[in-house]
Amino acid sequence: MKSRRKILTNILRGIVAVAIVFSFAFPIYFTINVSLSSKTYISIGSLLPDLYLGNWKDLLTLERWANAIRNSLIISAACVLVGLILAIPAGYVFARIRFGGDRHFFFWLLTNRMAPPVVLSIPYLLMFRSMGIWDTQYGTVLAFMVFNIPIAIWLIASFVVTIPREIDYAAFLDGYSIWRYFRRILLPVIAPGIAVTAFFIWMYSWNEMFLASVVTSARSKTLTAELLTTVGRLGWGIEYGVASAGAVVTLIPGLALLYWARKYLIRGFTFGRL
Amino acid sequence: MVTCLMSLNKYVWLFAPSLIILLIVGLIPFFPLVNYSVQTPYREESLFVGLEHFKKIYQDARFINALQRNLMYSMIVLLIEIPLGLGLAYYFHRPGKLNSIISACIILPALFPYISIGLLWRLMASTYGPIGQLLSNFGISYNIAVNATQAFGTLIIMDVWHWTSLVFLVYSAAFAGMDPNPILCARTEGASESQIFRYIQLPQLIFPSIFIILLRLIDSLKIFDEVYVLTSGGPGFSTEFVSQYIRNVALEQWNFGYGSALSLVYLFVIICLCVSIMNILTKGKGVLQ
Repeated sequence: MKSRRKILTNILRGIVAVAIVFSFAFPIYFTINVSLSSKTYISIGSLLPDLYLGNWKDLLTLERWANAIRNSLIISAACVLVGLILAIPAGYVFARIRFGGDRHFFFWLLTNRMAPPVVLSIPYLLMFRSMGIWDTQYGTVLAFMVFNIPIAIWLIASFVVTIPREIDYAAFLDGYSIWRYFRRILLPVIAPGIAVTAFFIWMYSWNEMFLASVVTSARSKTLTAELLTTVGRLGWGIEYGVASAGAVVTLIPGLALLYWARKYLIRGFTFGRL
Repeated sequence: MVTCLMSLNKYVWLFAPSLIILLIVGLIPFFPLVNYSVQTPYREESLFVGLEHFKKIYQDARFINALQRNLMYSMIVLLIEIPLGLGLAYYFHRPGKLNSIISACIILPALFPYISIGLLWRLMASTYGPIGQLLSNFGISYNIAVNATQAFGTLIIMDVWHWTSLVFLVYSAAFAGMDPNPILCARTEGASESQIFRYIQLPQLIFPSIFIILLRLIDSLKIFDEVYVLTSGGPGFSTEFVSQYIRNVALEQWNFGYGSALSLVYLFVIICLCVSIMNILTKGKGVLQ
């Protein structure tokens, strides 16, 4: 009797599990399906693709799309590099040294996350135009620093806090300069933390759309901004094929993050506070 | 205090570069914003209008409606996502092959670009998409370009699909980080699962809950990308949220003066709401600790 009930609950659990996996995976499947379908298949809403590769060929060869993918790659990589160089020393300071008003400073960092991108759109447009960096990759990287630096500082600080202070004292007693301390001790010890931070800077920069669409127009448009243009320009129900192929490309970093940095995902989303 | 500041001096050059960049992109932009909010920029010259723009906001029905809709939307998605994410995390946080596949699937949407999520759901909700096909079997005609209720409902489903993942992630980390001994102890003493949840696990979930509520509140108040792609605020203005209205004023009508004023009010509302909710939830202690 008991074992029968157990089998029944197991079956029920299985059904629930399948339903959950299905409901989360289906929209992703459907997008991949659309990207591999020809126009006629898309227009009838077929659930199976006819393995038409034209959309992918368009995505990778049309200048507009190839350029957007290239820009996204370059800008995200530059954000990772610049963000880490700026945030590692700053994160170290915030993890180690208490100073007057540090909590206010932390709160200010948080408000940078609260500010909707639309609020920044008017000033960025004006500032970047007058500085001559509008629609350049430099400008886009600079704009993305508004959310990358806070998250990177918080993450690095959350990793530095876990290192015992005694190591610092020992190093400085041995006459290490701060440079040597960084190179020989801090960087190797928090290497996983740096990798995680890099992952998250990459993901936030790669995913960002609104600021990218404001500070770029053609030359340095990112893939997400290009998707916005496509969806905005073309009406309801047309040209979905290449747009969904583009969307599938935008999903790749997220999948990579889930695969390699799964243990640390939670930190990246909660500013290292959990 | 003095020693603190002195030791800080020694380290200033370590964080000065990031501080300078942050000032350029995070603080200086607010000066032109304030400047424009009291002017009507027109061609070459600007007209000083004082607080006219802010007075206009009070009577701007489209803005008020968008704000109310935004607040209602935030409330609805929080009320669905927090319990749903907690429930899923409660059932699937234990280690195991099946559970890890399920949690990977649930977490996935949080890692994707907002705009791609919008596109995914626009494909799902298009006239011949799977949702329409499914509902037409029940004799319901589904078209989010016409039916405002369906459009709003689809947005909520999309948001739940997208962000329950983050709630789930936070709660499953919280469950995984709990000390197993008190739970085992209570179980051997004969406590029921609901008692264990109520008296041992729930108290440990308070801080993660505050955090995730704030995080979701901020993000849902900022909502733009997905809505823009899925409905563009339509049909009519029935799914227009604040971000989109401001974008419309600033970047489509090129009305920088009024757009700046709206932006400031929007930011003010978000920060006030978040700070007051944070203070209520943490009884004034803050989440920074």
